[in-house]
Amino acid sequence: MVFLRSEEHLERWLATNRWEPGVSMSAATLNELARRWWWSRLDPGWRPRAPAESQAILDDLGLTGAFWQLA
Amino acid sequence: MDELALRIRNHVYASFVGDGVAQTPEAAAAALGLDEGTVQAAYRQLHDAHALVLHPGTTEVRMLNPFSAVETSHRVEAGGRSWFANCAWDALGIPAALHTAGRIDSACPDCGERLELEVRDGELVRGNGLLAHFVVPARRWWDDIGFT
Repeated sequence: MVFLRSEEHLERWLATNRWEPGVSMSAATLNELARRWWWSRLDPGWRPRAPAESQAILDDLGLTGAFWQLA
Repeated sequence: MDELALRIRNHVYASFVGDGVAQTPEAAAAALGLDEGTVQAAYRQLHDAHALVLHPGTTEVRMLNPFSAVETSHRVEAGGRSWFANCAWDALGIPAALHTAGRIDSACPDCGERLELEVRDGELVRGNGLLAHFVVPARRWWDDIGFT
C-alpha cells in the first residue's frame, strides 16, 4: 500500500509497472482504517484477531465487495 | 498460539518500540531466561500466525507490523522516536498503536517527491489531499506480504 500525490500519479505509476488498478481511498480514510486496525497491537493482553473481527473493521468502514474479502 | 509464544511476542515488540532493534532469538532468550531453541520455535510459530514476519528461511525479524525492522520509504516519528513502517497503512498504524501523535515522511512511488503526513488526536491533520492505493486484494495480502 502506498501514498501517491494524485490520481494522475497513480495512473502513471500503475501504467509504468503494468499493474491492474486496485482500490484507492483518501489518506484520511486510510488513517481511520489504521487507527481501528492497529490500535490494540501493543496492548499487553494482545491476542490475534479472529478473521471475522478483521472483516468487521473493513465492513464498518464501507470497505466491502470482493476486493476486501479476507478469505 | 500458545501463551509462551505470546509472551515472547510481547517482549520482542516492547523491545523494538524501545530501541528500534528487532531482537534475535538469542537476545530474546537471554532477556527472558529461555532456551534459544524454544524462542526460535516461537518465532516460527508467530510468523506462521502472521503475528510477525521473518526473513525467508531464517529466524531474523523483518516486520513487527506495523513496524518494519528494515529501512523502507515510510519513516514515522512519534513520541520523540522514529521507526520505519512497512507500507502506507502501517505508517499510519504506528501512531495508532502507540496512541500518540505522529509525523510520516513518505514518497510518491511515481515521482519520488516527498510526502508528509501528520496525525494528531487520531485525526489526519496534514496530508489530507493525498491518495492511498491498495494493489493487492485482501485475500492475497499474505501471499507476499513484502509486496503487499
